Amino acid sequence: MAELTLDHITKVYDDDGSDIVAVDDVSIDIADGEFLVLVGPSGCGKSTTLRMIAGLETASSGDIRLGGDVVTGRPPRDRDIAMVFQSYALYPHMTVRQNMSFGLEESTDMSDGEIDSVVTDTAEMLSIAALLDRKPGELSGGQQQRVALGRAIVRDPKVFLMDEPLSNLDAKLRSQMRTELQRLQEDLGVTTVYVTHDQTEAMTMGDRIAILNDGELQQVATPLEAYHQPANLFVAGFIGEPSMNFFEMEAREDRLSGDQFDYPISQETREAVGDATNVTLGIRPEDVQLVEEGSGEHDFGTVVDVVEPMGNENNVYLSFETDGAAEFVATIDGMRSLDAGQPVVARIPEDAIHLFDTDTGETLKNRSLAELEETEPRF
Amino acid sequence: MSTDTEGLSVSRVALYAVLVAMALFYLAPLETGLMTAIKTQDAFFSSTPFVPPFGDGFTLQPWYEAWAQMQGPLTDFSGALYNSAFVAIPATVLSGLIGSVAAYGLTNLNWRGQAGVLMLFVAGMFVPYQSVLVPLTRFWTIVGLQNYLAGVPFLAQRVGLIELIVTHTAYGIPICTILFRSYYASFDQSMLEAARIDGATFTRIYQRIIFPLSKPMFAVVLIYQFTQVWNDFLFALVLVSSPTSEVATIALNKLQGSMVQQYNVQMAAAFVAALPTLLVYVLFGDQFAEGVAGET
Repeated sequence: MAELTLDHITKVYDDDGSDIVAVDDVSIDIADGEFLVLVGPSGCGKSTTLRMIAGLETASSGDIRLGGDVVTGRPPRDRDIAMVFQSYALYPHMTVRQNMSFGLEESTDMSDGEIDSVVTDTAEMLSIAALLDRKPGELSGGQQQRVALGRAIVRDPKVFLMDEPLSNLDAKLRSQMRTELQRLQEDLGVTTVYVTHDQTEAMTMGDRIAILNDGELQQVATPLEAYHQPANLFVAGFIGEPSMNFFEMEAREDRLSGDQFDYPISQETREAVGDATNVTLGIRPEDVQLVEEGSGEHDFGTVVDVVEPMGNENNVYLSFETDGAAEFVATIDGMRSLDAGQPVVARIPEDAIHLFDTDTGETLKNRSLAELEETEPRF
Repeated sequence: MSTDTEGLSVSRVALYAVLVAMALFYLAPLETGLMTAIKTQDAFFSSTPFVPPFGDGFTLQPWYEAWAQMQGPLTDFSGALYNSAFVAIPATVLSGLIGSVAAYGLTNLNWRGQAGVLMLFVAGMFVPYQSVLVPLTRFWTIVGLQNYLAGVPFLAQRVGLIELIVTHTAYGIPICTILFRSYYASFDQSMLEAARIDGATFTRIYQRIIFPLSKPMFAVVLIYQFTQVWNDFLFALVLVSSPTSEVATIALNKLQGSMVQQYNVQMAAAFVAALPTLLVYVLFGDQFAEGVAGET
């Protein structure tokens, strides 16, 4: 167990003479025992970052420190890490027992008896003891996944690296394994770096999440911070499902002016906007309130375009014009029924809006957390 | 519906007719050879070659004779079949092993100049036997292998065969490397990365993962190389001068040289010479199919 530090690491690929920056100056401190999720769209450099930690790729510049030691130049076997791959990467000609013993045989001086007892204990912990003498080809995807985890756990490494380990599983098994993995990591207390493109996994599993885009680190924060206080437009749009509604507006003296509507702003909000002229207004679907009749200045007449029933809630796609394409989405209670074509008034409360500078993407103002503080003392 | 089935059955009949005709066409020489090999010389001259022998015409004598000419007693370690095996087995195993290791180095390790080296291997596949005959004999004359082997009579008597082993091994490496390379390229790369993270060195990864998973491709390579080496005539003709070291193909050719053409003995000898390659196919057939299908 150890803390892991990424210190300004950069990875540049040479692609026929032109340089491609896969990872651009990323620095993250990961505490001992922490579960950090690296998340971002495909091609954002998250897997490359993980592979640099593993030593499967060499960093073009920057240092990686593990428990105080610089491991940057070391081959994977000298780093004391274990990795779980998306494809499980089990050795097909070996039994489960041999798969799990392989790492201990290759990297330690443990006797066969010791190895066997460690493997058996771990297999019991993962409830795969009955499968020890089978080969990977005879196992289901979920079982192979457990073997891959077991192979990493027996090594008792300083850091677990996981590269989209659940993405080959079906939806039900995935959510089950998600919980199990989290519990396992908590029990073992091993520092873990987990790569995923799935923001649900990121939100539910991580102690903190690091959001990457185009090789650049966007924000490192707890899931709730990233959700409620995104550092920029990208994070705001990436975290949350359905994603945040955005409206491009122009900042005027006392209001934001857009193609569809004008949004009056208070003095406080005006100060947050500052000198920015092009502003993006963001509002989470669950913060949009649908009311019967508009009464305030933040109420706007809309028409229901499509309703997506989710059971516990409905996603309502709204348009400002009749027959217009849906422009934003509101999440309402699942028992409340609305029909397509029905006119409703959407209320966009000022204390729930996020404002971003359209040109730079920087956050100008995040939503007020006054009402959240009662239930979430961390904020 | 009845017309449909009829149409189908007519085309099916035509298909089978063509298939049977082709089968007969390809099997005819084999059948003729076999029939010739079990006929007396008289019966051969008095009947059509592909007709089976009747009564007195049937004999197994050509087989005994062919065996005596090609090998003699099995305890006689200088028979032609024995010599062929002495060359073919080591040459096959060596080119297979070296090809496999080379392919591993060319596929799963990263180093500078890899593409250039691979090109050399590919080019090596296209060098015709005939073009190297003179350089090859010159090379072995300059090397003077017999001087090094003088201390070991068993090997010294078989200098020509040892030269053949080395030559065939070298000639077989390119094709073996290319075959293994395409096979290894289909391996899951993250499996090898997992092994690296598990602490295995490059040599250990080869020993414990690549090599055990190579079995089907080894079957392909062994069958192919063994047949190539066993059937080679040209190199054996040029490199082997000692009569005690002649291989099966040379011995078979010599049968034809006698004053009277003993067709039945020649045919029986041809079957005797071909038998080992057939045996290799039977032994590695299942693995061969797996390797050709490219399963990992």
